[in-house]
Amino acid sequence: MSHLKAMASRALQLALVLWAVVTILFLMFRLMPGNPMAAYIDPTFTVEQQEALMAQFGLDKPLWEQYLIYLGNLLQGELGQSFRYREPVAERLMTLLPNTLILTFSSLIVAYTFGILAGAYLAWRRGSVVENTAIPLVLTTRAMPEFWLGMVLLAVFSFWLGWFPAGGTRPAGASYDSLWALYTSREFLSYLALPALTLAIYSQGLPLLLMRSNMLDVMKEDFVTMARIKGLSNWSVVVRHAARNALLPVMTSFAIAVGYQLQGNVVVESVFSWPGLGRELVNAVSASDYPLAQGAFLMIAVVVILMNLIADLLYSLLDPRISHA
Amino acid sequence: MIPMRRAVVSTAFLALLAGTPAFAGDQIRTIDLFTRPQAAQPQEFQSIQLIAQEWRKLGLDVNVRVMPWEQMSDVVWYQRDNWDATAWQMVGRPERSDPDEIVFNLFHSTTADKGYNFIGYLNPEYDTVVEAERVEIDEAKRKELIDKAQEILAADQPNMMLVHPKQTFAFDKTVWDPASVVEQSGIGIRNTWTFMSLTPVGEQKDIILNSGDNVQAINPLYISGGVDSWVFELVYDRLVRVGPDGLPKAWAAESYEWKDDKTIAVTLREGMKWHDGEPVTPEDVKFSFETAVSGEAPMYAPFATNIENIAIDGSTITFTLKQPAASFVTSSLAKINLIPKHVWEPIIADLKTKEENAESYQEETPIGSGPFRFERWLTNEEIVLSANKDHFNAPKAERWILRIVPNVEAALGMLRSGEINFLAEFSGDPQVLLQAAEQDGDLETVSTVEMGFRYVAFNNRRPPFDDPAFRRALSSAVDRRLIVKAAYRGYAEPSNSVVSPALGFWHNEAVVEGFEAGHDVAVKILEDAGYTLEGDRLHYPGDQKETLAE
Repeated sequence: MSHLKAMASRALQLALVLWAVVTILFLMFRLMPGNPMAAYIDPTFTVEQQEALMAQFGLDKPLWEQYLIYLGNLLQGELGQSFRYREPVAERLMTLLPNTLILTFSSLIVAYTFGILAGAYLAWRRGSVVENTAIPLVLTTRAMPEFWLGMVLLAVFSFWLGWFPAGGTRPAGASYDSLWALYTSREFLSYLALPALTLAIYSQGLPLLLMRSNMLDVMKEDFVTMARIKGLSNWSVVVRHAARNALLPVMTSFAIAVGYQLQGNVVVESVFSWPGLGRELVNAVSASDYPLAQGAFLMIAVVVILMNLIADLLYSLLDPRISHA
Repeated sequence: MIPMRRAVVSTAFLALLAGTPAFAGDQIRTIDLFTRPQAAQPQEFQSIQLIAQEWRKLGLDVNVRVMPWEQMSDVVWYQRDNWDATAWQMVGRPERSDPDEIVFNLFHSTTADKGYNFIGYLNPEYDTVVEAERVEIDEAKRKELIDKAQEILAADQPNMMLVHPKQTFAFDKTVWDPASVVEQSGIGIRNTWTFMSLTPVGEQKDIILNSGDNVQAINPLYISGGVDSWVFELVYDRLVRVGPDGLPKAWAAESYEWKDDKTIAVTLREGMKWHDGEPVTPEDVKFSFETAVSGEAPMYAPFATNIENIAIDGSTITFTLKQPAASFVTSSLAKINLIPKHVWEPIIADLKTKEENAESYQEETPIGSGPFRFERWLTNEEIVLSANKDHFNAPKAERWILRIVPNVEAALGMLRSGEINFLAEFSGDPQVLLQAAEQDGDLETVSTVEMGFRYVAFNNRRPPFDDPAFRRALSSAVDRRLIVKAAYRGYAEPSNSVVSPALGFWHNEAVVEGFEAGHDVAVKILEDAGYTLEGDRLHYPGDQKETLAE
């Protein structure tokens, strides 16, 4: 019973957060200086055209009415039509979403695998020269602006060495039978490499530092001392006892990182001409394309909220000590 | 010298004590000058800094306000009484090879309220001249009128014309024969003619080019982004195309002939086919022009509203106009895309029953009759067209592939690495491009003076900008050669006319050459008009009050 109640309150919270996000998005774009009509200003732009456009975009109605229509449409899963592209927002975002997801997940998997292993290793080698040089290095990668890192990788690996192509997801004019065929092709991997590496270098710092400090905490715990007393090998103590326990918070941070990563994509997608959600978002905001910008932000917000939920659930699942009560 | 200045100061002091200075108007308020951010528009930003500096030397307090395009256009366009001066630009397009669109829509009084005359320039004499120019079919006489319009603008300076920038494009000459590249006057080498004639010299037969902007739509009934027009100009034919020399050239029309000043007869070229194999008929042509005014394609409507009737006799299509229109061939026949009636008739009929119009209709596979066929479109990534070998002017290349590359440095790198072989857009410093081409050896660059121009728009509604003398003074305060050098690094032509030197026939060279500029020129104009300097600040002439100070 209390379990059910907890779930219900959780769902209510989610709905509230979503409503707040949706409302803020609505107001934000409309209160921002700028006008979606700016894109149409032309010497042959007539008064009739201006009025027709305003009506077509629904901008001739009062703000509260626009808001109600927007909410009503959202409840029916309708994100509206993009001003700029004149096509349904949902359709457009769904074609771009897979590109963003594959970039996000591949970079995060690389970042987390590396971060966890390196973090555990550094904790084990606490106080050594390796640790003393590695930590500042990690902090540096964390402080590097992503676009700068992207440009450096581009200049070195693409323009200088010529190992990787400079932008897009496939060779010019290449066609694939399906998205799956594209994503599993060798060419795709070569296009994915640099943007994914940029994001991975940027994001490995969090799991690495988290893993390291968790490890240091865990190593002080009684059960680790116990394991040592039992005479287990160093390897066994670190990997089988300490690392497994230190891993929990890192795994949940992964879920949250997915959400944050979607923001980082905005920059990297522009540097590497990657056709994803992030680039679309920037374009939509700068063109005052309200429906598209709202839709893209909403999609990202939903992913973040969902991932937070997953992180919560994962926590209680992995660590029985944490309960809903 | 010194005693005299002291005398002036003490007179001013006395006048101040008296309360009402009899010899000067109010001090001119702080003038706002808009520009877009340096990151987005480096040359514009730099020009505005230079201009503000020169204006300050005249005794004006100038406040440069930096804002993005959406915000700037919102104020300038929709709050017409609320700004002083702003940087602005006009881009070149083939249809603008006829000066009518610019000289009429930018300055005629009828467009002041809600149209492109957002500066609120009102001059009955000018109105008369451009109204006459519109209906004058005789080219020599029309040329005189266009010259006259340019002279009036030069005298009135409703805008401060700055420069016609040069567009620089590049291509890989190990892929494309340089002799097959066509330079279009006022546009540059990135044009339909080039794409049709580019001849491969080696294995690579695909034209691969870049664009920083996404393609919004490939729709023959919707005037969307600039990049979109690169695509639909290749997929769709028009009766006439603007030629490399900027003059109209019969295209899908075998020929055209003015019967009188309201009647033009067009003979359709024989043997043309749509990409689906159906023949192109005079009925298709008629349908295309009628669809423009059907209410389903509002953006194309202005280009066909002047048509009273379209009659078909065999392969001859006769357009009867409501009013004589000299620019009809360039602005209408070369503007309306020819679309297949058998494809669009049912779509238009269906759209008539719906709220949305043809602008939001995207065909799965756009069908035209143009030199390239549509193959596929990957959202925000690339567009692939293939050569239409059946076309009367079939391209030499195999495919035309447009890659969307928002990162301008990456685009240049791609050109060098061969990922693209035609640099169709480069928003960076042209010097960087030229250096890269020199280092590389395989690249060739071509710079062309644009038909478009950059200018500072004055709000003619607001004092002191309602005074032609004041506008003249501000405009002549800055030597345009300085702007060309400092802001454009030499990649521009100084301007004093909205009709670009790229339009050789219509351009009035005298107004540019007769334009004197410099600080002293400006000071003299202001003095002659009665403006005075009190202390360091410029004051209105006579007893004019400042009504707009905040």
